[in-house]
Amino acid sequence: MNAVSAGGITVTGAPAARLSPLARRAGLKTGERRVGWLFMTPALIAFAAVILAPFLSALGLAFTRYDLQTPNPVFIGLANFAQIAASPEIRESFVVTFVFVSLATVFTIVLALAWALILNQPFRGRAALRTATIIPWVLPSTVSAFIWAWIFNSRYGLLNAAMLEMGLIDQPVAWLSTSAGAMTAIVIAKVWISIPVTMTFFLAGLQSLDREQIDAARVDGAGDFAVLKDHVLPHLRPVLLVVVVLAVIGNLQQFDKIYALTGGGPVRATTVLSIEVYRRAFDSWDIGMASAVGLLWVATIIPPAYLYLRHLLKTV
Amino acid sequence: MANMNRRQFGGAAAAGAASLAAGPAFAQGSSISFISYTYAEEPNKPVFQKVMDDFKAASGVTVEPIASAWGETQKNIMLRQRSRTLMDSAQLQDRWVPSMATLPEIVDIGGLIPESDLEAALAPSVLSLGRVGEKRIGVPFVSGSVGFVANTDVLKKAGVDKIPVTMDEFRSALVAVRDKVPNSVPFAMATKNPSSIPLDVLLLVWIFNGRIIDDSGKVVINSPEGRAAMSFMASAMKDKLIAPELDRPDSRRLFAQGSAAFYIDAPQARGFIRSFSGLGEKADAFTLPMKSPVLKQGDPPRSVEWGHVVALFKSQKPIDKGGPQDKWVRYLISDATQTTFPLQIGGLPVTKSARAAPAVQNDPFLKAWAEATGVTMKHEIGVWSNAPELSTILSEETQAALLGQKTPDAAVAAIQTRMEASMAKRG
Repeated sequence: MNAVSAGGITVTGAPAARLSPLARRAGLKTGERRVGWLFMTPALIAFAAVILAPFLSALGLAFTRYDLQTPNPVFIGLANFAQIAASPEIRESFVVTFVFVSLATVFTIVLALAWALILNQPFRGRAALRTATIIPWVLPSTVSAFIWAWIFNSRYGLLNAAMLEMGLIDQPVAWLSTSAGAMTAIVIAKVWISIPVTMTFFLAGLQSLDREQIDAARVDGAGDFAVLKDHVLPHLRPVLLVVVVLAVIGNLQQFDKIYALTGGGPVRATTVLSIEVYRRAFDSWDIGMASAVGLLWVATIIPPAYLYLRHLLKTV
Repeated sequence: MANMNRRQFGGAAAAGAASLAAGPAFAQGSSISFISYTYAEEPNKPVFQKVMDDFKAASGVTVEPIASAWGETQKNIMLRQRSRTLMDSAQLQDRWVPSMATLPEIVDIGGLIPESDLEAALAPSVLSLGRVGEKRIGVPFVSGSVGFVANTDVLKKAGVDKIPVTMDEFRSALVAVRDKVPNSVPFAMATKNPSSIPLDVLLLVWIFNGRIIDDSGKVVINSPEGRAAMSFMASAMKDKLIAPELDRPDSRRLFAQGSAAFYIDAPQARGFIRSFSGLGEKADAFTLPMKSPVLKQGDPPRSVEWGHVVALFKSQKPIDKGGPQDKWVRYLISDATQTTFPLQIGGLPVTKSARAAPAVQNDPFLKAWAEATGVTMKHEIGVWSNAPELSTILSEETQAALLGQKTPDAAVAAIQTRMEASMAKRG
C-alpha cells in the first residue's frame, strides 16, 4: 500500500501515479514556515544590528580594560566584576535601583488602579478627563523631568512658593539636595508619567467586568472594599500581572527622567544602575567597567522579562 | 538642473566623478569642522561667528562650527572618536588637554608650527597651556585665570565697604550679606555639577595652603589643610553662606541679578554678567575681580590657570603645513583675532603683541583681573589623564560633606582613598 503526503495530509492506499507533480515533499506547514522566516528577516536583521551586536560587543568589553589610558580593549578576565564586588559605590547603586523600582512600581500600580476605578464610573466630563489623563504620557520625558525640576527647585520652585504661601514652611527647602527628597522627586516624576498608560490597561480590563456580577454582590450586601477584593481584583489579575512586570522592567530601564532631574545626585542618592553605567561610560570613560555594570543591569531585567514573555506565550 | 542639456549633464557628472576621485580634500572643498563651546554660548556666538567669517575672507577656508555646551564637549569628542567621526579641530579647555592627549587621533601641532615660533609669538605665561610632555597638543588662543569676583552693589547693601582680604574677613562679609540681603546666596560656590565643583574646591584647598594631588601624582588632600578647607565649606553650607544645587551658570545669574556677593569664574565672567544682568556694559560698575582671600595676612592670593586652546584631529582630511587646519590655528593667534576676540569674550589675549596693544592695556576690567591674579597654579586634577574619574570622586565626596552625609574629615579621607585607587589604576 502506498502512503503519500501532501499539504500535511497523509493519504494511504492512494496510487502513487495520482500525486500532483507540484506537491512539495515537505508539506504546506514547512512552506508557511519559510514564508514566515522571510517576513521576519528584516526584523531579525534590524534586531541583530541594533540590539544583538551591541549587546555581544558590551558582553565582550565587560571582560576588558578599556578606558582613557587604554585606547584599545585589553582582556582582563573577571577583574571588572571583582572591582564591582569590592566597590561600595556600585553596590549602593543596586540598593538605590531596588528602592526606586519598588517605590515607583507600587505607587504607579496603586494610583493607576484607583484612577481607573474613578474613570470607570459614569459622570459628566468623564471623556474629557480620560483624555486629559493621557497628557503626562504624551509629553516628552525630558520635558516632564524639567517641569518637575522646576517644581522642586529650591530658589524658583513652585512647591516652595506654594508651601511658603500656605505658611507650611518659613524658608525655601532644597528638596533635591537631600537623599530622601531627591528619591521622592524622581519617584513622583516617574509615577506621574506612568499612571496614564497603566491606568489605560486597568480601564480596558474594567470594561469587560460583568456589571451584573457586581450588582448581585451589592444585593448580597457586599461593600466597596469587598467588591474590589472579591470581584474587581480577581477579574483584573491577568492585567495586573502584565502591568506589574512591565512596570518593573520600565523602572529598571529608567534613565532619562532621573538624569534630567537629579543627574544621579545628590552625591549618589539617585544613581540607579542606568545612571551608574552612563557615569562610568561617559564621565569616567571606563567603557570596560561600564559594560560590566551594564551586564549586571541586564541580568536584573531578565527575570521580569522572562515572566512577561512566558505569560505572553501562554496566552497566545 | 531642469535646464541642463545632456552634454552639460555629462560634463557635470564627469566633474563630480573627478572630484571624488581626487580625494576628500577636493571633494569637500576648503573647509574644516570645529567644535566649540564658546560658539554655543549665546552672548559669545556672534563674536565667534565674526572670527570665522573674517577667517574665511582672509584665507578662503570655511569653518563649519559645531556648537557644543561646555559640559558636553568632551563627551561629544569622545563619542565621535569612538564612532570614527571626529571633527577636524576643537576648542578645548586647557585642563582637558591631558585626557584628550590619550586619543590616537590627536595631532602634535609641533609638526605644523615649530615651538620656537610659538615662543616668539606667545606670552611666556601661556606657553604651558596645551602642552603635554614634549607634545604640543593645543595652541592657546584665550588665556586668563580662574579667581574670585565680587559684586560691589551687594556688598554695599550688606554694609561691607572693604573687599575682604583674609578668610575671617571673607566669612564676616558672607554673614553680613546673608543677614542684610534677603534671598541671597552670599558665596555662589558651585555645588551641583561634577564638572564645576572641583575648580572651586581646588581654589579653597589652596587658600588653606593645602594640595589635592602633588606634582609627583601623590594624593595629599588628607592633611590638616585639606580638612580645614572642607570644614570651611561644610560650615558655610550649614550657615547658609553657600547654597546647594548651584552650577556655574546659576552662580553667574545670581551674581548678575544682585543675589550673590561672590563667586568663582574666569575673566569671561564680564561677558556673562553683562548679558545676564540685562545691563550690558553698565554691569561693569559692580563687577569687581578681587584677590582670593588668604588664610592669614601675607599669604599669596591664589588663582587657577585657565585658557582655551585649539586642537587638531587626524580626520579624513590631510593635515599639511599651510593647509586649512594650519591656517586656522595660525589665524586664531594672529593679531587680527587676538586684539579683538579675547577681549570681547572677556579673556586675555595670548600673544605678546596683542597684550601690548592699547585696547588691552587700557581695559580696566582686564587690568583689575591681572592685578588680582596672585599665584596662578595648574589645575591639579586636570593635568592627569584620569581627570574625569578624579573629578567625580572630588565632587561626590565634597557634596557628601556639604549636605551633611559625611563629616568633613570622613569626606576628605574618602577622597584620599578613592583618588589613590584611581591613581594606582592609572599606573
